[in-house]
Amino acid sequence: MTDGNTTDDLADERASLVEQVPERRRIAIAIVGAVFWTWLLARWAYHNALLDVIATALGFPDLIRSEVPVLVRQGWIPGGPFRAVADAVAGVANALGPADVLLEWLVWLADLAAFAATIAPKLADGAFITVYLTVVSLLLGLVIAVPLAVARVYGGRVLSTLSLGYTELIRGTPLLAQLFFLWYALQLGSVARAIGFTGEPPIPQAAAMVAVVGFTINSAAYQAEYIRSALQSIDAGQLTAARAVGLDMRGTIRHVVLPQGLRLAIPGWTNEFVYLIKYSSLAAFITVPELFRAAEGVGSDTFRYTKVYVIVGLFYLALVLTTALAMGRFEAAVSIPGLDSSGNQE
Amino acid sequence: MTLLELEDIEKAYENEEVLHGVSLGMEQGDVEVLVGPSGAGKSTLLRCVNRLTEIDAGTIRLAGESIHDLDSNDLRQRVGMVFQDFNLFAHRTARGNVTLGLEEVLGMDHDEAVERAEAHLDQVGLAEQADSYPAELSGGQQQRVGIARALAMDPELMLFDEPTSSLDPELIGDVLAVMNDLAAEGMTMLCVTHEMGFARSAADTLTMLDGGRIVERGPPERLFENPQHERTESFLGQFTDFE
Amino acid sequence: MVVSGALRSLDPALTRTAIVLQSGDWGVVASNFDFLLVGTAVTILLTVSSLVLGFLAGFPAGAIEVYGTGRLRGLVAGAGVVLRGTPIVVLMMLFYLGLPIPQLGTVPGLEIRVSPFIAATLALGLRSAAYQGQVFRGAIQSIDDGQMEAARAIGLPRRGAVRHVIFPQAVRRALPGFQNEFTIVLKDTSVAIAIGLAELLTRAEYLFVQPERSTAMFELILAVSAIYFVLTFATNRTLDRLQTRYAIPEGDG
Repeated sequence: MTDGNTTDDLADERASLVEQVPERRRIAIAIVGAVFWTWLLARWAYHNALLDVIATALGFPDLIRSEVPVLVRQGWIPGGPFRAVADAVAGVANALGPADVLLEWLVWLADLAAFAATIAPKLADGAFITVYLTVVSLLLGLVIAVPLAVARVYGGRVLSTLSLGYTELIRGTPLLAQLFFLWYALQLGSVARAIGFTGEPPIPQAAAMVAVVGFTINSAAYQAEYIRSALQSIDAGQLTAARAVGLDMRGTIRHVVLPQGLRLAIPGWTNEFVYLIKYSSLAAFITVPELFRAAEGVGSDTFRYTKVYVIVGLFYLALVLTTALAMGRFEAAVSIPGLDSSGNQE
Repeated sequence: MTLLELEDIEKAYENEEVLHGVSLGMEQGDVEVLVGPSGAGKSTLLRCVNRLTEIDAGTIRLAGESIHDLDSNDLRQRVGMVFQDFNLFAHRTARGNVTLGLEEVLGMDHDEAVERAEAHLDQVGLAEQADSYPAELSGGQQQRVGIARALAMDPELMLFDEPTSSLDPELIGDVLAVMNDLAAEGMTMLCVTHEMGFARSAADTLTMLDGGRIVERGPPERLFENPQHERTESFLGQFTDFE
Repeated sequence: MVVSGALRSLDPALTRTAIVLQSGDWGVVASNFDFLLVGTAVTILLTVSSLVLGFLAGFPAGAIEVYGTGRLRGLVAGAGVVLRGTPIVVLMMLFYLGLPIPQLGTVPGLEIRVSPFIAATLALGLRSAAYQGQVFRGAIQSIDDGQMEAARAIGLPRRGAVRHVIFPQAVRRALPGFQNEFTIVLKDTSVAIAIGLAELLTRAEYLFVQPERSTAMFELILAVSAIYFVLTFATNRTLDRLQTRYAIPEGDG
């Protein structure tokens, strides 16, 4: 955990969520992902309070429906046809006898689709929080991670020890314990509420802010490790050359080390992004109504737990795979010939 | 006795022709050196002989038997190979590199395999290094372990694929010395190498390969002194000039 | 806590051993030391069982991804993506509620119910298998092609070459990745709180959600975090040392 190797391997290990996927299937994921995101964005816009205010001011009071509570939101895709299919197939299956596994599967799938269509609006609402928790925490985490990594590599003994201590402590304890610490032990929720995070739309809830703080602190440590190993993989000659052209240490770090190091850190950063999407589900344990908790709500209303978790699993999978694909594109876009992480990892 | 016979060998990789109608024969105890520019097909030809590469057309016979009638693993026991990059098993000591084939392929018991391995390591001058891992050996030592590994299988024929090309100049001599000894002991050897000194001193036959065809084949002295083809002359010329 | 409130009926056994004490905050930690210690044992046990399952399933999975063909390989790769792309809490819920795991009662000494333990092991173990499979796949692919060629050249069949030459090297190269997996699994055992498994964090929560002990939240969470930290730190150091000791000199080509 403390040495360089482990982190590099961590990068290796998590890097390849879509890398190994064959090209044809990757295109399929991209198409499904695009449909999914179009639907998700439309869904968010449809119930967005801010957009509602604007639309109403422009004279379209019924265009955006932010006043409709989450629990009674209607899906755009009706569940009826799927249920009809399920019933029809079930009828056939019954006629054929109970042994037909394939038909039973079909019934299950059609039923799943029908159920998904009904609960999708609630999940879309949770997914919005999942996405903003992830994106905000990731970016804030990056802001902390860069100085942490620089301090670890180029800071003096005191700074690098402090940075090391921080990352060790955070990476050595469970994220859930960290969230509990902020939420229960430090009672940060009441602090956030006092600041004005009341949860009245469009203002986020206090709990969500605590989650952002927790994820930021956690993510900063992991991001710092990825960036550190990237910085350390930069050829020493680069530093010498930068000093030789007259840059001071600060200038060297800013103009030579970071532009190279941050590029090299992108694969690791992608992993961290994916990791955070998945682990943002732990915010449910401090009452944040994100995707997982939204699913739990549906589950306790309908008692169809297995189906709910299958559907929410697919939601996460869609978020994670599209992110991994997009980050792959991003990496390709900012890459520089001759400078890539694979060549530098040995 | 004719040990190895190649007849009209054809080989192409994705429409790129690598070998085109190559034929040659080697008597038992012959030492043959293949030379030619890179891309001439020398290594491919070598690999066809132990079926690391499969030919597209033609016949290869070992001691009169078509190698395609043999089980490829049986064939490879009878034909030893030494690689340019040594390819020693990184997780095994020098001794372990030699014993692996003895135990797992020939089914020898451990003690017997160790005894035989040590004898062969001694033969290549590395008795002291039996317990060293490949990474702890110099390139020349690694290559000699590679030779011992192949020899231990008691092959009828040895293939050498540029055995000295990855070595620092000062380490080449040890490897060539082992190869010279082998040649003197009567081992049948088919070698791809740029070591013209070895070709002159040890080879019975020198074969010039270019563009997947045999350009010229004969005793080394004749090819060096009196080449029949302009390609041979210019190719060998670049070596003789420096000698 | 609303999170799966219905599901998180803790073992009745817990109430027996948790000592109700209203003294000072650290006093709560001290007087429930045994209670937390048993939780630590559950955490360690769950980590080990998950890692073992992860290795047993992940090792062949990685090999299949490299050497397998057709449908089997596609299946393994697909399952891997699903397991790696789904939050661990969702996986645990699915395995706990979606699989017909029989109610097998409780483990006496550890005061845990068997069925959530099995569900948690399956979730953590299979996800770890997906990651370990990737580690192992990468390790196999990092072995130079020449190793296979040399093994074939002395007459080893492909299967023998993989077994005697490729695997021994790949497993060693995969060790740092496996070690990393250990830390991840250990920390994620805490997510088993979602299915009411009485591991370390669950026990801490059980203690501090009692109104009379809520003042000890700070101390309890800190104590539990410290235990997690000591566990990850100590194991990582031990494994580092083992790796150095049993390392085999590996050349870089």
